[in-house]
Amino acid sequence: MTPKRIGDLLDRIGCLEHPCDLDLLLFFNRHPQAFLKSERLAEYVGYDLPQIQRSLETLMTAGLLRQSPESTRPARLYVLTRSSSSPLGGWLSSLLRIAATREGRLAVIRALKQRRSPGLTGGGEPEPVANVGPRPRTLEEPHA
Amino acid sequence: MPEPDLVKTGIKGLDEVLFGGIPRGNITLVAGTAGTGKTTLGVEFVYRGARQFNEPGVIVLFEVAPDKLIRDAALFGWDLHELERDGRLKMIFTTRQLFQQELQRADSPLLAEAAEIGARRIFVDGLVRLPESTGGDPRDAFHLLAEGLHRENLTAMLTLESTFTDPAAARAPEEFVADTIVRLSIEPVQRAVLRSLEVVKSRGHEYALGRHTFRIINGQGLEVYRRVQAPRGLQREAGAAFDPTTRVTTGVPGLDELVNGGYFVASTTLVVGISGAGKSVMALQYIAEGARRGERSLMITLDEPPAQVLRNAHAIGIDLKSFIDRGLVHLWYEPPQEMEIDRHFAQIEAIVETFRPRRTVIDSLSTYGSSLGATERSFRDFFHAIVALMKEHQITAVYNHENPEMLGMSSMMGEFKVSSLVDNIILMNWVELGDSFRHALTVAKMRAMPTSRTTHECEIVNGQGMKVLPRPLRAVLPVVPFAGYLGLISRSPERRPPPSVPETP
Repeated sequence: MTPKRIGDLLDRIGCLEHPCDLDLLLFFNRHPQAFLKSERLAEYVGYDLPQIQRSLETLMTAGLLRQSPESTRPARLYVLTRSSSSPLGGWLSSLLRIAATREGRLAVIRALKQRRSPGLTGGGEPEPVANVGPRPRTLEEPHA
Repeated sequence: MPEPDLVKTGIKGLDEVLFGGIPRGNITLVAGTAGTGKTTLGVEFVYRGARQFNEPGVIVLFEVAPDKLIRDAALFGWDLHELERDGRLKMIFTTRQLFQQELQRADSPLLAEAAEIGARRIFVDGLVRLPESTGGDPRDAFHLLAEGLHRENLTAMLTLESTFTDPAAARAPEEFVADTIVRLSIEPVQRAVLRSLEVVKSRGHEYALGRHTFRIINGQGLEVYRRVQAPRGLQREAGAAFDPTTRVTTGVPGLDELVNGGYFVASTTLVVGISGAGKSVMALQYIAEGARRGERSLMITLDEPPAQVLRNAHAIGIDLKSFIDRGLVHLWYEPPQEMEIDRHFAQIEAIVETFRPRRTVIDSLSTYGSSLGATERSFRDFFHAIVALMKEHQITAVYNHENPEMLGMSSMMGEFKVSSLVDNIILMNWVELGDSFRHALTVAKMRAMPTSRTTHECEIVNGQGMKVLPRPLRAVLPVVPFAGYLGLISRSPERRPPPSVPETP
């Protein structure tokens, strides 16, 4: 997969800007219906909470994800909107197929970063994906 | 008495163990160590419900990603994607803590998702026991969870990970709250492993007690085989050879005369002898005789694969292949290595119920002994079960049994203590005369029939098979009363010398 092809797909999809957008999308592709708190999502995906919230907003605005209505509870049900019949759905499926491999994901992340900082070149080792500093791990309570 | 409303699992063999299914609304706990098949069982429960019984379902996952579950399910031929698309399945990924909290709220979006598709079943994968150190009351917590599921009218299956291999030690507080408990285990047998399933308890109905074997089969899913010892019903228990007139011919020239015209219908005949004594030849002739009479005949072979049996039959002039092609003979071979006896028996039951033979041969019983251990109770239980199966279906069955003694026999069955279950016993011996072994046959036992227990010579002729030779010496040997012998009980009889006549001086 050439960087140009990846760039074309990102152009057509339009909404993906940050590596976190992609990683969230990949997470929801593996877990199409997830009932989680955003803090837990941040732990699963590996980004800080403000970025997770921005990326969730991005995906929901683009109609790729829907969440259960606002409520007093912190957890939400996130449902990936699959629509392979629309052009967007088709391009998204192609991108997810590419990003399903380690090399493919890194290539898409590289392309996203280049778009954000056009001065960067595409060579060399990919930069770290997430801007996650050490933070206390929340041990999930076992079933109680 | 009202009939319980049972939810069929749709899992092959499991509903028979559950006597029809799980009572609707029951909370079923599936317990077992890692790798025992808990997730497969739960997913199949939901899949079969949606697919076969029009009962949509929900799968709740805490650790396994749904895409992996979909991939693994595809190996069994279950298309979970299709069910999702059709609105018959929802797979929800969440955390244990959130799931617990949501079940305690009637307005939960998670429960709303289940209600949206009209879910009747739910599978929750991966509950773990609360460690004592956390101070929580696991029984109370599980009770809250169960109440939530009851409120939603869902028939639930929940897996509980256990790290214990000893079932007694693995008893969890959750088990006292759950309505049904199914325990899965893997146990080593020699160098193989055997999967087994036990319904430990199930409120609201009866079920088959004990540990039943199961397999996880690619392209299918779980298949449960009721343990051989489990009662099958009154008809089986009461099965008997009751017909006092009809005889089933043996197919061996000369033998019918020795057994009063043939075996009784549904009787059990054991043919005992060393390897090469002619047992398999007799078996083939018995099967061929049935086929010639238009009776369906089943031959179960453990020692020789079908191609070899066909060759053996050809060597004695029997075209077994043509009988098979005409649907008169069913030849079933199962290699004896690592035999799972519950599964093996279930397969025999299935063949008997579909093929409906009038005659059956098992060649040989001693091979079961090698697999199960001749002195083990399981061997006798298996033989008892198979005899009962044959009698229920009024099948006249012949079992070959290899006796290791080459010349003569000091014991008919050796360490196989099953002769009391048998109606007829035919002993095949070698007799050494001059420089050759010759075949000898003795009818040692004929239940409810007279028998002379005389020994007859037989011969096996290439292209023709076995026949029992006439006994021209019968009239020559005098029948001497017991009083004419010494040492009868010590098994070394000697003719008593004629009384000496005192000399007259």
